[in-house]
Amino acid sequence: MSTILVIAEHRRNELRPVTFELISAAQGLKKSADDKVVVAVIGSQAETYTAALSVSGVDEILTIPAPVSEFDPDVYEAAVSALIEAKNPSVALLPHSVDSLGYAATLASKAGYGFATDVFIVEYQGNDLVATRGGYNQKVNVEVDFPGKSVVVMTIRASVFKPLEGSGSPTVSNFDLPAVQSRSQNKEFVEQGGGNDIDITTVDFIMSIGRGIGEETNVEQFRELAETAGATLCCSRPIADAGWLPKSRQVGQSGKVVGSCKLYVALGISGSIQHMAGMKHVPTIVAINTDPSASIFTIAKYGIVADIFDFEEELNSQLAA
Amino acid sequence: MRVANSATALVDLALKAGDSYSAAAVYSIAESKQKHQLKELMFGKRRDALALARWEHTPASVLEALCSASDDAIVVRLDKNQNTPTLAISKLYVAENQRSKSSASLTVLVAQHRHASLSVLKNIAQFEDDEASLLAVSKNLAANSEVLSILLDRFESSSILAALQKNISEHPSTSPQLLEQLYEKGDVYVKAAVIGHANCPLQLIDKALLEENVFIQRQLAADKRLNNEVISRLSLHQDKSVRCAVASNAIASNDVIKLLAVDESDVVRRVIASRLDLTSHVISRLMNDQDVWVRQKLARNPTVSFGVFDKLSKDLQADVRRGVARNPRCPVKLLHLLAKDEDYWVRSAVAYQHRTSKQLLIELADDTAVDVLSGVANNPNTPQRLLKKLTASAEADVRRGVILNPSATRLTLLPLLEDAYYLHRLMLVGNSKLKDKDKWHLCFDPDYQVRFTAFKYFAGHFIKSSS
Repeated sequence: MSTILVIAEHRRNELRPVTFELISAAQGLKKSADDKVVVAVIGSQAETYTAALSVSGVDEILTIPAPVSEFDPDVYEAAVSALIEAKNPSVALLPHSVDSLGYAATLASKAGYGFATDVFIVEYQGNDLVATRGGYNQKVNVEVDFPGKSVVVMTIRASVFKPLEGSGSPTVSNFDLPAVQSRSQNKEFVEQGGGNDIDITTVDFIMSIGRGIGEETNVEQFRELAETAGATLCCSRPIADAGWLPKSRQVGQSGKVVGSCKLYVALGISGSIQHMAGMKHVPTIVAINTDPSASIFTIAKYGIVADIFDFEEELNSQLAA
Repeated sequence: MRVANSATALVDLALKAGDSYSAAAVYSIAESKQKHQLKELMFGKRRDALALARWEHTPASVLEALCSASDDAIVVRLDKNQNTPTLAISKLYVAENQRSKSSASLTVLVAQHRHASLSVLKNIAQFEDDEASLLAVSKNLAANSEVLSILLDRFESSSILAALQKNISEHPSTSPQLLEQLYEKGDVYVKAAVIGHANCPLQLIDKALLEENVFIQRQLAADKRLNNEVISRLSLHQDKSVRCAVASNAIASNDVIKLLAVDESDVVRRVIASRLDLTSHVISRLMNDQDVWVRQKLARNPTVSFGVFDKLSKDLQADVRRGVARNPRCPVKLLHLLAKDEDYWVRSAVAYQHRTSKQLLIELADDTAVDVLSGVANNPNTPQRLLKKLTASAEADVRRGVILNPSATRLTLLPLLEDAYYLHRLMLVGNSKLKDKDKWHLCFDPDYQVRFTAFKYFAGHFIKSSS
């Protein structure tokens, strides 16, 4: 029997969706019915998350009361280190997030565990655990194995594993945090500028506008279209740089990677390398551009060589019908 | 290191750098002996040649030099690359035809290429049988009316006629005579495209008046040659897209505008709210419209009065208040009010607004929202000392705002030449405020795109001086 340990992530009293994706990834690593998925949640109010964590695929929940409510790298490192020693899991899964970046590498390095970051495929090939991650700026996929390592720590890329559906009835127990001296202090939570806008990394349907819209006055009709279609309106860099849409709506290297997006409609976007870095992974990309040679068509599932204003007019009338 | 003072010196430096992108940037100014060396550097390794053949910034001269390649993969990339010059495309087409087994897919790429010459397009239209290639010609903006006419005549009774008619009816070069021909023989979609075409002859407009199809009526309603009676009739059309077209038609009379300002469809009223010829009566009606987009479009309308701006600046919807702040005629007094708005996106609009004063921009610089700070960084009225401070912002978007600011001086921009984000260094290569000696080190930048842009910039000096 082996244990797969999942470290839950929460912020501002809410579990982050990636936690449930880790549980799904952990389920895929079970080699036999005896294997257990154990989810650990760390924080001053850890017990408040147990109901939400009682989902399909979880066998045990460990609450670890800590003196801090928000993430603290020293506390998490001490807690997860103690957990691994006590539970001896074969794999510990952490989100590939700014939190994990603060302690995962140190944790693995100090104890000599196997370690891989930003993993998007994890599986057993025979008896060997193999993790797949990007390399050379995501140009190649790199398979990593861990010969001789009895414990492997991995940070898992968000929005890759589909959360399992249904509730579960895991056992819940307490795990004491070892003594730890934190070197940081959480003084105040500051929302990033423009933080009251929608988080485009979490939405699944995006309509995105580029230089093809021509003038700022044309932005509004695409906002209307997106609103009618139930999409979130995003943009390429020149549009945000001109102040036509908020920076929080910018997709690409200078903006955000739309990790959860399932349908991306690119309107008048030529498809610079910088823009595509933020959306090329989306399973269904629909590109509309008057230029048949626009780079965006090389990654689009459906390409429409047309004027975006004609497209907008037609789609609007279809949606209204 | 001193700036190269001759084309030869610059090319030598690119050769010394040993990088294919820097070599590509200076190829057009090189002497024949240097060109040979540059070719070795650029095309010596197949991987480099493939990358340059595909890269969207590869100069036309380099693509032309590559077109004698016999490597199929390179030929495909050249056919796809929209920078490949006309002569090279013609050469590739001839070479393709001379092969024992020519490839239809390569002909398609030539047929849709924006630099394909008229003679190549005409040749394809006259002699090729591949449907995809013929359809590509019918959509190519480089084709003229003669080429389009050949296609229509040649395939008058073919299975691709319908697709050709559709493409040609939308092609900007289609002549009035061809449009008449298309109107007579095409389906309703072709007819609608003909009526919406800029070259549509007046007699077809008269014919279209008898049509009841909504697609045709929609195009008709936007035509500026209609008389008042027809416009009035179409303004009562049951289809809202037809009424929308009337609402956007510049020749619509005040009576029609007044009628459509109370149209049951929000979409129609939104179009009306954007018009620049609204009467005060209509504006009063639209100012109190229940639809937020109508009020927002009115707030953006540069023809409205102070009273309208004042009322809309207090609207409960942030989109409407932002519309006022973005309006190029927004009164300065209201900008001061909107600069304190609770919504960061409204404050951002004030920060980007060119009427915003220096003092107000200084106040907005204390904001924490990145969109507001980016606006301050972009605004030409922002004082230089503030711009200098913003060059040290932790937010790349804000630093880029300074780079995009036309008022940023050389001294302000200098620190950004060392910016951590390669795109910012690249953008500064073309900045006219910076001196050549400031930019010279970018030729040796760690990022290949920055090196390419810098070498190309300096190569441009020698192209100008020799011409």
